[in-house]
Amino acid sequence: MRVRFNAIRAGLAALLASLIAPKAGAAMFGGPEPGGIGFLPASGQIATDMFWFHNAILLPVTIGISLLVLGLIVYIVWRFHETANPVPSRRTHNGLLEFTWTVLPALTLVVIAVPSFRLLAEQLIIPAPDLTVKVIASQWHWNYGYPKSVGGFSFDSLYVEDKDLKPGQPRVITADNPMVVPIGKVIEVDVTSQDVIHSFSVPSFGVKIDAIPGRLNKSWFKAEHEGIFYGQCSNICGIDHAFMPINIRVVSQSDYEAWLVQAKKQFAVSDRVDVAATRLVHP
Amino acid sequence: MASVTDFSHHDVEAHHAHELPTGWRRFLFSTNHKDIGTLYLVFAICAGLIGTVFSIVIRAELMEPGLHVFPVISAVMSGDGSIDAAKNMYNVFFSSHALIMIFFMVMPAMMGGFGNWMVPLLIGAPDMAFPRLNNLSFWLLAASFALLMCSLFAEGSPGMHGFGGGWVLYPPFSSVIGTPGPAADFVILSMHLAGASSIIGSINFIATILNMRAPGMTMFRMPLFAWSVLITAFLLLLALPVLAGALTMLLTDRNFHTTFFEPAGGGDPILFQHLFWFFGHPEVYILIIPGFGIVSQVVATFSKKPIFGYVGMVYAMLAIAFLGFAVWAHHMFTTGMSLNAQRYFVFATMVIAVPTGVKVFSWLATMWGGSISLRPPMLWAIGFVFVFTVGGVTGVVLANAAIDRYLHDTYYVVAHFHYVMSLGAVFSIFAGFYYWFPKMTGYLYDERLAKWHFWVSFVGINLTFFPQHFLGFQGMPRRVVDYTEAYAFWNMVSSIGAYISGAGTLIFLYLIYEAFKAKRHAPDNPWGPGATTLEWKVPSPAPFHTWESPPQIFGDEDVHAPAIAGHGSAA
Amino acid sequence: MTASGDHDGTTVSVGGRARRNNCLIGVGGITLALTMIGLTYGAAPFYSAFCRATGYEGTPQRVTANTDAEGHRILRVGFDANVAPGLDWSFEPESESVRLRTGKTVTVFFRARNLTDRPTEARATFNVTPEVSGEYFDKIACFCFTTQHLGPHESAEWPVVFFLDPALENDISMARVDSITLSYTLFAPPSEKPAPGRSADRAGPAG
Repeated sequence: MRVRFNAIRAGLAALLASLIAPKAGAAMFGGPEPGGIGFLPASGQIATDMFWFHNAILLPVTIGISLLVLGLIVYIVWRFHETANPVPSRRTHNGLLEFTWTVLPALTLVVIAVPSFRLLAEQLIIPAPDLTVKVIASQWHWNYGYPKSVGGFSFDSLYVEDKDLKPGQPRVITADNPMVVPIGKVIEVDVTSQDVIHSFSVPSFGVKIDAIPGRLNKSWFKAEHEGIFYGQCSNICGIDHAFMPINIRVVSQSDYEAWLVQAKKQFAVSDRVDVAATRLVHP
Repeated sequence: MASVTDFSHHDVEAHHAHELPTGWRRFLFSTNHKDIGTLYLVFAICAGLIGTVFSIVIRAELMEPGLHVFPVISAVMSGDGSIDAAKNMYNVFFSSHALIMIFFMVMPAMMGGFGNWMVPLLIGAPDMAFPRLNNLSFWLLAASFALLMCSLFAEGSPGMHGFGGGWVLYPPFSSVIGTPGPAADFVILSMHLAGASSIIGSINFIATILNMRAPGMTMFRMPLFAWSVLITAFLLLLALPVLAGALTMLLTDRNFHTTFFEPAGGGDPILFQHLFWFFGHPEVYILIIPGFGIVSQVVATFSKKPIFGYVGMVYAMLAIAFLGFAVWAHHMFTTGMSLNAQRYFVFATMVIAVPTGVKVFSWLATMWGGSISLRPPMLWAIGFVFVFTVGGVTGVVLANAAIDRYLHDTYYVVAHFHYVMSLGAVFSIFAGFYYWFPKMTGYLYDERLAKWHFWVSFVGINLTFFPQHFLGFQGMPRRVVDYTEAYAFWNMVSSIGAYISGAGTLIFLYLIYEAFKAKRHAPDNPWGPGATTLEWKVPSPAPFHTWESPPQIFGDEDVHAPAIAGHGSAA
Repeated sequence: MTASGDHDGTTVSVGGRARRNNCLIGVGGITLALTMIGLTYGAAPFYSAFCRATGYEGTPQRVTANTDAEGHRILRVGFDANVAPGLDWSFEPESESVRLRTGKTVTVFFRARNLTDRPTEARATFNVTPEVSGEYFDKIACFCFTTQHLGPHESAEWPVVFFLDPALENDISMARVDSITLSYTLFAPPSEKPAPGRSADRAGPAG
């Protein structure tokens, strides 16, 4: 009975994949590039603003201060080496200097704090959601539950082993059933855990929120590109901590509605009503 | 604060050389601050080597995608070479690596090692206030390390050995749900003993520094290393008991059915995080502040100039220590904290950058106008100023919760704390080692070997950790045994850096061996006119007993470089 | 003159005022350490009490009655239900959400069913998000206040009676909050601990 059910699932999954393949040329790959050094591709205002804050404000400050100190060291060692300066000065105070190097950093921090606080509000005040997805973490996979208004189904999103990967699917970060969401809509994720602390993270959306047993945490995103977006569990949770990927597939509204139809059939568990609010009982 | 204690009328008893104990009894029962300091330094080197081996094995695994190394390691250590056992062993290795480096390398080296050796010498005291407790502190630490080693071979998760939940021990993973076996209990008990060792040690340092300074050695004439040890001792005394309480609660949750951190019983796993980080953040200042003190003394010595802005340096360390208790939840920005709480912790954390900046600029200003001699201790100290700045500024980045949301639990954080620890604290420890080695052993080391050690390590450690910033930006999480192919290039570079650093460590070990073999005798002061603190007034190696009659200190108040009349070294 | 009093003649010891001051610092240090441990233990009940009193970290308030003063704003309150492993019950809210004016008291129901053949107990933990709304989420009656019992295959409908304090309209932190979620997790009592996390009953990834 279970074997047949799994075969049906596999078949439907293949059908699903072909239905929601990304449109040619429009899909964003929200994951790492070989040898990459910068942020993952940003989709949505939160990530865009976050990356701007770092690259336009924090990065110049950090690089600037590091180079300043390095430059001063190089100059000082050259100019005041004992061969160049055999008689040391005895100077141990300079009021103006001490005042400057206290006040200037403080002012820099204020300059940093203004956009920093604004970003925090943007991230943490959740606008009215268009779709709420219940995310349940357990050792070692994610479960996504959709509200009753769109079908009330939930499904596990399991790690795909190397031998089961399809061409083009990256190793370690591919999951079998991605969370599917429509483009341009406010998606709220309600996150909790069944056992130990995990953490739900999708870097391209600027989302990271811990999954804690006995507690519901919320976060949100609004994706502005179709494509597939990757994340990984971000709190040590046991032997398969590295093997709990998060995949979110962002599709057009019409493709999302088509997926809902398929998903309701594929993932509905017939002996249970109102599944979205309860956990799946694992046989 | 404390008045200067006049020793001249009090009895300081010490017997002469012919009654000195020898052999293993000398060290097992030692109540001498120099011998105990030596015990701590040897201990730190040995533990540091084990921690380094762990880290090189970790980097060997991460050099390429896939699991190659740990199935072998796991087979050797537990007899189980399966993939699952290998994954578990990796988690155990990075957890143990952190605990070893923090509690059994950095803290023993700085406080137990240099603190014990140098603080009495620097302040003109004959020994520590509680010499027998000093001995107890050391052996508690040795026992603590033994317990940690035991945990590696005890059952943790079902069917697995060791505790693999990170040095932070978060429940529920560290409680019965995640780690039902006794490995976690061994780790907890190990930390209890280490905490007791440090608490006793800090009481010892506080009493010694407040109460046993030589006449004329006012608080504001004390060398900055002594100040740094005093401040660190207070941090330890206030923070470690909180860890002890949190760990005891975890222990009873695990073994005696309490539910402090279990939601089923009305508890909260987040409470553990609050308590842990209330200890944990001051802990990172505990790890660096003595390093600040060492660097101040080394920079002043080799610039042949007094430290710039001595009083500012003292207040900066005090400010950092004090503020360090007010910022703990910046480690918890993703736990579901409210907007206002996050705002507060962002603000408070950034404020700490100000006194830290004061210190960095003061070191540069000390060197400015000086007559700089690039002997090995100075190389490490100058290196420290640069690498600590780099680590510090990435800390400012992480302080902003808005961006920490992306970077938390990624390799950016790993890069940040290794820059301040593996580059910062470790550089300052090597600076102290190369500075005080002649005083402690009476031998001169080969300075060319020392410079090789510095440059090979500088290149290697930077190469190890700088690319990890990139991995963090690309989203690679921390504490992972395997990763997707896109992360392969920078992981390879990082691992090569680790091997180069390992080579640097081998140079270090050879240098020590060579110095003891060559037996080049060191003068009282090998460093020239810049070395103005009291330890350079006694012979090298420092005699078993020093300052039996305390020196009388006079000082030029402007310069905080005390001159002394009368010498106090023992026969 | 004070003798050191120990048999190991190489131990340095001080006498007189220095010794007394050392002992004072020693006692003071130990007292400080013990005080900090005490405060740490005190943190556990203090943290619960603090959260309950201030609504910190999304802790709803528990009140005896409503003041009957209605406000102006209407917010959406959603309901979330979870069952922890080791408790074989089903548990869901009767409705996914309600729209509610501040100050107005409302009763919602949660349906629970014991799926086993044995009588079982459960307790609920709870929180509201966003965290800042905890201060204004006032519960008059809730099944979460006590342990609940269900017989074999028994089901029950549990009420939660609550209102949103109109004072939230004066709090700028609540100005942009349109939607609050009340979440419950049912746990078996601690003595019946769930089995420890299954170590990969899936094969787990190959190397």
